[in-house]
Amino acid sequence: MRFRAKIVDLACLNHFSRIINTIAKLAKTCVLRLTVSKLYFIVSDKVANGGASMWCELCQGNFFDEFQMEGVAAEHNEIYLELVPENLSRALKTAQSAKAVKIKLTNKHCPCLRVAVELPSLSSSSRIVTHDIPVGVIPRRMWNDFREPSVPDFDVSIYLPVLKTMKSVVERMKNLSNFIVIEANLSGDMNLKIETDLVSVTTHFKDLGNPPWASEDGCQSSAQSRDLESMAEARIDIKKLQQLLAGQQVNPTKALCNIVTKRIVHFILLHEEVSLQYFIPAIA
Amino acid sequence: LTVFGRAIHAIARISDEFWFDPIEKGLALRSVNSSRSAYAYVFFSSMFFQHYCWTAVSEPHQKEKQLSLPCKLIIKSVLPVFRCVNVLERNVEKCSISTNPNDHHITFQLLCRHGVVKTYNLTFQDCDPLQAVFAKHMCPNILKVHSRLLADVMIHFPTSQEEITLSVTPMKVCFKSYTEEDTDFSRTMLTEIQLSPEEFDYFQVGVDSEVTFCLKELRGLLAFSEATSVPVSIHFDRCGKPIAFSIEDLLLEASFILATLCEAEKEAASPEPACCPQPWDSNADTAPSKYPQWNGNTPSKDLANPTSALAKQEVKSIPRLTERDVPGRAGAAMAEAAGGEATEAPYQKIRYHVASYLYKYCVFQFHSLFFGAVSYKEKEAIGDTFQSLATASDTEEDFGALQSSQV
Repeated sequence: MRFRAKIVDLACLNHFSRIINTIAKLAKTCVLRLTVSKLYFIVSDKVANGGASMWCELCQGNFFDEFQMEGVAAEHNEIYLELVPENLSRALKTAQSAKAVKIKLTNKHCPCLRVAVELPSLSSSSRIVTHDIPVGVIPRRMWNDFREPSVPDFDVSIYLPVLKTMKSVVERMKNLSNFIVIEANLSGDMNLKIETDLVSVTTHFKDLGNPPWASEDGCQSSAQSRDLESMAEARIDIKKLQQLLAGQQVNPTKALCNIVTKRIVHFILLHEEVSLQYFIPAIA
Repeated sequence: LTVFGRAIHAIARISDEFWFDPIEKGLALRSVNSSRSAYAYVFFSSMFFQHYCWTAVSEPHQKEKQLSLPCKLIIKSVLPVFRCVNVLERNVEKCSISTNPNDHHITFQLLCRHGVVKTYNLTFQDCDPLQAVFAKHMCPNILKVHSRLLADVMIHFPTSQEEITLSVTPMKVCFKSYTEEDTDFSRTMLTEIQLSPEEFDYFQVGVDSEVTFCLKELRGLLAFSEATSVPVSIHFDRCGKPIAFSIEDLLLEASFILATLCEAEKEAASPEPACCPQPWDSNADTAPSKYPQWNGNTPSKDLANPTSALAKQEVKSIPRLTERDVPGRAGAAMAEAAGGEATEAPYQKIRYHVASYLYKYCVFQFHSLFFGAVSYKEKEAIGDTFQSLATASDTEEDFGALQSSQV
């Protein structure tokens, strides 16, 4: 099992750091899946995460100048590593002006991702900062736990409002309640509601637009026959939503959510080179 | 003023209290942390201040002339005075410090813009100050570098990082996170920075060494030296011997002396992380603690170490400091042979010399010192105000514990 990669371009490095920062805000530990062409950051829906799960996918070619990997075996040419994204975020934080960043999988005392940052210095030789981030290698028999989640059979799919606005609304609501209700309909209306003994607050968004989903095998046909005004709603943990919104450092190209009434809310945030999916289960 | 404020902050990182020690040549501030493993010394020469007035009045019949009135202050009370150093620079026009030994008060007075005057009256305790004995010129390894470089290096380590290891060979310099044999590598992230000798203003490595010291205590000095933009000198030796970070220029000097971990005695180390302040127990001669023992030269003090005989002997051979003739050097006046002490305690002792002043026999009047955020050009104008303020502070009634008066 080997892995080496190198980033030389500063813009790519900054973009990659931002993605890692976003993920670090969402989960304490996550799984990094490496394939020849892609990197995946996966958080599975175990109880420890409050049932929320995440799937983030990026093409290595968009970030790395060099990328070589050898998986556990020829027919399973992938590597699954468990790591703390905060560590990776911290390692990259001070690499803002780096000449190059190399990432390598090593095994000195224990398996580590070694991030070596080459920084410019006043003298002829560069400064080299090395961070050894401990990782856990996930054996092949457990890979099934980390499959790509399928898009749920949703009732309503709607584009999200401007994330900054949504974030400040949710942040204020967080002070009042632990749960928030998201409801939306196929006419582009979305409401964010909280309700406590003392107060209930609702924020209305209109004209958001509903993304068209190609109906395959007629599985989405139920959505087409749905009343345009009727709301699909789900009550979710407000902290999870706030974490998702707070972690977004750049405005995504597309941001939408799929709501399955009283079951789950599925957020999809698409950037040019990376896609992030976040599932928050509904609470009764 | 920024510089003074930063000095206070830096010292605050070492301990909760510090010694405020005005002498003829200037003002010395000292602090020792509770486990005696870190010592900070900042000396502002009288030229640093716009106006520095210090008087010593001693009774004629005393043989030893008491030269100063050392006193001990609680940092927490002083820190608010200099809390927002950046804001201070903008708002405060002048700061005056005066002491009144009779009723044990020090007054800090900030004259701010728009006629606002903030006065802080703080009580102090009389006590003997400590002075660390450390022979800087005997250190085989000396590095000198601008504080910016050190700050850039430290930024890569998490703020929670307690200890780091500095490893030098003539070819390279390396700062890395400290690890022991029983470090759980699967949980800890390790960071290492390699620098080439060319990056240092002065680079001398006499002996390859790896020293481990507490980073937290150092960060204060780094912030302070950035304010002064004076380069930092690092003097050290093999592991176990203390490491000194110092800055020096015409107006001020500062030294932070930190104990370093000695590899060979790790098994004797206590399980707590090295930089947790440990309760000082002068009678702990069973389990050698990790931190240097304080060798006071008052015979009544127990030297915790079983080789105390040797230690006592060495201590007695130090001529007692009654005159601080070398105020700048933090104890470099004494060159100490290491002795066989390293075998007992993992940390090589920072040897302290207690200058026991017979202060109670002398009466001091330390008038006041002024320094302001503005340039020195205004010295003439200040001369007039000085007089009136001096009398004012002397005749003012006691305000009580801590009071700021606002117009």
